[in-house]
Amino acid sequence: MSSRAVLAAGVAVLTVATSGCTVANSGRGGYDPNTLRIVLSQEPPTLEPCESSLTSTGIVVRSNITEPLVERDPNSGDLQPLLSTGWRQTSPTEWTFDIRTGVTFSNGAPFTAADAAFAIDRAVNSDLQCNVDGYVFGDEKLKLAAVDDTTLTVETEKPDPILPLRISFVEIVPRSTSTTEKVREPIGTGPYAVENWDFGQKLTLARNPRYWGTAPAFARAEYQWRSEGSVRAAMITNDETDIATSLGPEDGAGDLGVPFQNNETTALRMQATEAPLNDMRVRQAINYAINRTGIVKALFRGLGDPASQLIPSGVVGYNDQLALWPHDADKAKALVAEAKADGVPVDTQIRLIGRTAQFPKIAETIEVIQSELAEIGLTVKIEMMDTASQLQYQLRPFPANTGPYLLMIMHGNQAGDAAFTMDQYMLSDGPQAAYGTKEFDEKIRAAEALTGQARQDAFAKLFAEEPQEIMQMAYLAHMKGILGKSPRVDYTPNSATGDEMRLSEMTAAGSDRTDAQ
Amino acid sequence: MFSFVRRRMYTSALPLIIVLLGVFLLARLTGDPTSLYLPESATEAQREAFAQKNGFDQPMLTQLGDYFTGVLHLDFGTSLRTGESASEMAFRAFPATLQLAFTTMLLAIVGAIVIGCWAAYRPNSLADRFSSLLSMTAASIPDFWFAITGVWLFAVLLGVLPTSGTDGPLAWILPIATLMIRPLGVLTQVVRGAMVSALSAPYVRLARSKGAGDLRVVTHHALRNAAAPALTVAGDLAVGLINGAVVVEAIFGWPGIGKLMIDAILQRDFAVLQAAVLLTAVSIFVLNIAIDACYALLDARVREPARV
Repeated sequence: MSSRAVLAAGVAVLTVATSGCTVANSGRGGYDPNTLRIVLSQEPPTLEPCESSLTSTGIVVRSNITEPLVERDPNSGDLQPLLSTGWRQTSPTEWTFDIRTGVTFSNGAPFTAADAAFAIDRAVNSDLQCNVDGYVFGDEKLKLAAVDDTTLTVETEKPDPILPLRISFVEIVPRSTSTTEKVREPIGTGPYAVENWDFGQKLTLARNPRYWGTAPAFARAEYQWRSEGSVRAAMITNDETDIATSLGPEDGAGDLGVPFQNNETTALRMQATEAPLNDMRVRQAINYAINRTGIVKALFRGLGDPASQLIPSGVVGYNDQLALWPHDADKAKALVAEAKADGVPVDTQIRLIGRTAQFPKIAETIEVIQSELAEIGLTVKIEMMDTASQLQYQLRPFPANTGPYLLMIMHGNQAGDAAFTMDQYMLSDGPQAAYGTKEFDEKIRAAEALTGQARQDAFAKLFAEEPQEIMQMAYLAHMKGILGKSPRVDYTPNSATGDEMRLSEMTAAGSDRTDAQ
Repeated sequence: MFSFVRRRMYTSALPLIIVLLGVFLLARLTGDPTSLYLPESATEAQREAFAQKNGFDQPMLTQLGDYFTGVLHLDFGTSLRTGESASEMAFRAFPATLQLAFTTMLLAIVGAIVIGCWAAYRPNSLADRFSSLLSMTAASIPDFWFAITGVWLFAVLLGVLPTSGTDGPLAWILPIATLMIRPLGVLTQVVRGAMVSALSAPYVRLARSKGAGDLRVVTHHALRNAAAPALTVAGDLAVGLINGAVVVEAIFGWPGIGKLMIDAILQRDFAVLQAAVLLTAVSIFVLNIAIDACYALLDARVREPARV
């Protein structure tokens, strides 16, 4: 018996030791000063470039592995040349792009206008159901032609004054890329290429030796992912990572947490087709009841700005003259009482729907809003949902027989133009709009046809008119993010950092460059 | 012994089928994955194409039939999220959980035997009080809190352990400590209780009267008879760990089956969820057979059906 016990114990110890080594050795271990270490909140589900509108994919792929023809400067909002050196509108429905010469993909294939035409066609016109297709182009189909190796023409069905901006969302891939299946590890022209993806554990990018531009400072970038914000913050303070994304104010990054303005705006969308929310006075009362300034100060710890519209400054169409909707609980109560006296069923229970972990302190924010609405005489029930469940209420077609509900949304305008927001949230049949009118739809369409200052003014006017004519939203805050940053890295986050984190903008602190490979 | 195992396999088949059916139906009750995977402005035609491509447009019975046919061929379909084979993803994640669970249980059992025996042998001693404290702590501390506090204390404040990850042996300490605290506390109390009974049994007094030493009395006489209840509880606790150490895997970035299942649920990735649940269910089924086999080894009455 005792020999059997010894044998069993030996087998057990050997198994544990072997299994331990299996997992322990799966990581690379140590840390190399030429490697940039980044921890994300989730693993990218795919690196397919046409899915780059998804934050978890775009943050790794965009401008790191693949590049677009033109890119938007997140600070100025201007379009900058990248794989295209210039572009012009050659007819009302046609744009011509000059293609950069001397560029090769990381697999050695030369980049030409034919690749650009292929990549745009694949992302926009194919049956791949790419996210960028729906988000940026909608139903629009494009005709693409490579006139020669350095000239690309793009023809639209209708005049499109912001086509180059839309094109900036399309990452360019070589003609060898599949058109029937999405790819998990793409080939691109960017400063980095995929070296190894140990799915579930680590993704490593290595400097692309064929990169046409200036070589990036770090030879490698190593991505890991941790879902818990406090663990990501601890990794920064413990010098286990150089960059930590999506931190909250209470995660504990301390001085290593760098606040930055992101593109996101939070708001309550009111299902104005259902009583009592179909009464304008009730919607106004909800707006009066919410203390935006208090929520930003107390819950967000100042990491945000109270919002009066759905886009932040820096986006074309932002109205800098639009004042915050005032917080006035007495006026809100009076409006509810007035509606009740006119027979509006203000006692009907209203569902207040939030998405778990959508932004830091969302649970507390929802509770505060419920309390504020209860104070003015509305009956509100909180429902927190996971992403998939919440999306059923956010995207058309909405579920039937839901009763009245208020939906917490967070909208990020990555494009820098209000048209993307208006199409989604303000058109009466917009994919994420709960309510609208034909008259307001026409105003939106008219504004979208304009260019330059006229476009800016028209959208700004619409943001001022929406609360008077529609009032579908109770705006909450323009959000700020926190990026954890190690002292050994120089990098200044900008409004695009959450969606597109350009590794080539990161350098070793104290020197302009890390030694080249 | 073989016939015993065969009998257990037959009786476990029905629960396995019920699990398969349950996960299929419950997964679909959680909602339509279309909104998660298609662009926000996807047209009705695009939604229909998505449903057709993934078989969601078929009647539920047809989907169920396809699912069971796939299971018989070990084909669980493709992940909506990654486009990879669902079974490959499950098989890749499972060893990490198994290694963690196995190591945790081994250490918990060894620790519980040492502390439990000592506490039973010296009632009201320091060891006895420690075992009581351990049990209370295990019952009252949420593992989430324990994990985060462990990261803060040992990684951030003291800097002696990594916060998370799988790089190197040190990275195992916090996940195992977090997972182990509950099984260790529970098992220690079970071992202690069983040993207290065993040590007062007539056969132990007889052994002592025949001159057996303390160590021999505990290890060769009392512990063997006290093992059965501890084995039962250890089996249940091990099942809990294999079922997915979700919190630990999520916090420490451990690429195991629990995290895979949670991600699959959140992303309505039915194929991966079904593959992961089935793999887990089969493992628990195997584990239960192994535990029953251990019983049979310990007790001949379990091996053979009762004869009248």
